[in-house]
Amino acid sequence: MAEFLYVTAALLLLLTGLGLARMLWGPSPADRMMAAQLVGTGGGAIALLIATASGATAMIDVALVLALLAAFAAVALSLGEPGTQQRDGGANS
Amino acid sequence: MSLMADTLTIAAVSAGLFFFLAGTVGLLRFPDTLTRLHALTKADNLGFGLIVLGLLPQSPDVASGLKLVVVWLLVQLAGASASQLIAQFASKGGPSA
Amino acid sequence: MPAEAEWRQSVFSLAALRRFATYLALWLILIGFNIADLAIGVAAAAWATIVSILLLPVNDRQISPLALAKHCLRLPWQSLVAGADVARRALDPRLPVQPGFITHATGLADGPGRNAFRAIMSLQPGTLPVSVAKSGDMLIHCLDMSQPIAAQLVDEEALFLQLTKGGEKHPKRNG
Repeated sequence: MAEFLYVTAALLLLLTGLGLARMLWGPSPADRMMAAQLVGTGGGAIALLIATASGATAMIDVALVLALLAAFAAVALSLGEPGTQQRDGGANS
Repeated sequence: MSLMADTLTIAAVSAGLFFFLAGTVGLLRFPDTLTRLHALTKADNLGFGLIVLGLLPQSPDVASGLKLVVVWLLVQLAGASASQLIAQFASKGGPSA
Repeated sequence: MPAEAEWRQSVFSLAALRRFATYLALWLILIGFNIADLAIGVAAAAWATIVSILLLPVNDRQISPLALAKHCLRLPWQSLVAGADVARRALDPRLPVQPGFITHATGLADGPGRNAFRAIMSLQPGTLPVSVAKSGDMLIHCLDMSQPIAAQLVDEEALFLQLTKGGEKHPKRNG
C-alpha cells in the first residue's frame, strides 16, 4: 500500500507543479493568489499521502499548516486595494 | 477486512487524483481568471476530500483518523471562504460583505 | 434580575460553554491527549472562545438539528456533483464553458446567515459568489450561463432558510 501512496503523491506533485507554473504566470494577481490555494490543496494532499505511507504523522501537521497559510494568504490579498499591485501593505479597505 | 480497506483506499485515492488532474487541466484550459477559480475550488477540493476518504481506512488509530477529518474540514472551510475573497478581488468591485 | 436578562445570560453562558468544549475537542484531536499538555489546551480553547465571541457574537437563533443533518448529508454529494461538472467541462475537447455573471437578490439579512449561504453556494455546481451589495444583490459567477442557475439559487435559498426557524428573514424584498 505504501508504494501506491508514494506513486500517487509523486503524480500529484507533478500535477500541482504544472498548475503552479500556470498560475504563477498570471496574468492577474488573483491568478497568482490561486497558486497559494493550490499549494494548500495539492500540497496538503501530498503531505497527507506521505504521512500515511511513511507513518510519519508529523506530516499531517504540515498539511494543516499549508491549508492555514492558503486561507490567510487569501485574506491578506483581499485586504489590499482591489486591482492594484502595490507591495507596501495595502490600506485596509 | 484489510483487503476491503485497501480496495477502498485505492479506489478513493485514485478518484481523488483524477479530480486533481481535471482541476489542473481546467487551470490550463479555462479562458479567464474566475472560470479558472471554479476549476481550482470545485475540482481540487473534491480531489482533496476523496484522498482523505481513501486514507481514512489506513490510519493506525481513531485519533489520527479524526485528525485527517479535521484537516479536511479546515481545507473545505478555507477553500469556500478563500475562493470568494479571490473572486471579489478579481472582479475588482463590490463592497466587502 | 428581570427574567428576560436572566434568560439571555443563561443562553450566553451555554453558548460560550459549547464553543469552549468544541475548541478543546479540536485541540485534543490536533495535538493529542497528554495530562502535562492539557493546561495549554485549556488556555488555547479559552482564548479561542473569547476571540470567537468577539468576532461572532452569540445570538439566540435556533438551528434545527434535523435540517442541519440534512444539509450535512447533502453537501458532500453536491461537492461531488460540482467537481464532476468541472472535470467534465475541463476534459471535454470542445471546452463547453459559457462563463458569465448573474445577480441573485437574496432575502437573507447581512450577517453570519448570508455568509454561510455564500459559502454553501461556492461549493455548488457551477456557481461562485463574487460579491454582495448591502441591498442584498448577490453577484454570482457562473460556469455555464445556459443552465437554469437563477431558479437553482432560489431553491437553494429556500432550503437554506429551513436551517433557521425564521427570525432571520429580511423585511419583505421584491424578487
